[in-house]
Amino acid sequence: MFKKGDIIIYTAILAIILVSSIGVYYYRFDDKNDKKVAIIKQDNVVIEKVFIDDLNELKEIKLFGNDDVIIHAQNGRIRFYKSDCPDKVCVESGWISKKGEMAVCLPYRIIIKIEGTGDELNTGDEVDIITH
Amino acid sequence: MNKTKKLVLLSLFISQALVLSIIESWIPFPMVVPGVKLGLANIITLIVIIFFNFKEALIVVIIRTMLSSIFGGGGFVVFLFSCAGGVLSTIVMAGLYKIKNNFFSIVGISVAGAAAHNTGQVLVAALLMKDIVVITLLPVILTLGSAMGVLVGIISTFLTDRLKNILENI
Repeated sequence: MFKKGDIIIYTAILAIILVSSIGVYYYRFDDKNDKKVAIIKQDNVVIEKVFIDDLNELKEIKLFGNDDVIIHAQNGRIRFYKSDCPDKVCVESGWISKKGEMAVCLPYRIIIKIEGTGDELNTGDEVDIITH
Repeated sequence: MNKTKKLVLLSLFISQALVLSIIESWIPFPMVVPGVKLGLANIITLIVIIFFNFKEALIVVIIRTMLSSIFGGGGFVVFLFSCAGGVLSTIVMAGLYKIKNNFFSIVGISVAGAAAHNTGQVLVAALLMKDIVVITLLPVILTLGSAMGVLVGIISTFLTDRLKNILENI
């Protein structure tokens, strides 16, 4: 169950985990601004921005104007409340509230991500990643 | 082993992999990152690499992900997602297994395959969602996935020992 070569594999994976953790840590905590904005995007098009900190009452967002995908936001938190996608991973993600957190609906290609308002200038409709 | 026997065995492996991937979708584990699964179907991929070859393993993986996204109802996006991970891990595991003198153990190969699987999936998810922020899930998913790789590797080690007698007498 263990051979010498395995050490190479385990070290390599550990190194990747460590380096990527450091990267993610800096991405999440580089901004001192406490105000959070939840960005709802589909296919890299921003559908809605919700300033979740200021929401005392429940805000319901019906993404396609019908009951297919419903998003709830309240008191600094946001979640996929309902989705008729097959895997329901997005609904299982539950509430997200911290900067850098995200909930993803892969079948519909919808992503909710939370960013600091300090980043807001960088969160427009421009292409974050080139795929073509 | 003649063609017919090979065909029957590979079909059996595909159906077993399919059953494993359906069973694991019932297990809500681990809830830290929703959507993360045990990767039990990788047991079959690894076994096919060991007893057959890369090509056969690739066929098994592609057909399995195709069927599981039909049965699971995930559609084309989910198929692309799981197929990319499966193909990448098959390439890595078959490559490492080819290195002679058993330089790597089955557990080691399985962990490397799991890591490749997870990295591939995160990258494909980032491409599909067209948002680079998805990549920040990598450390958590890679940690969980490697732990699952150990489990899959241990199961595959035992299974290889048992299957050796059966498959070599066919």
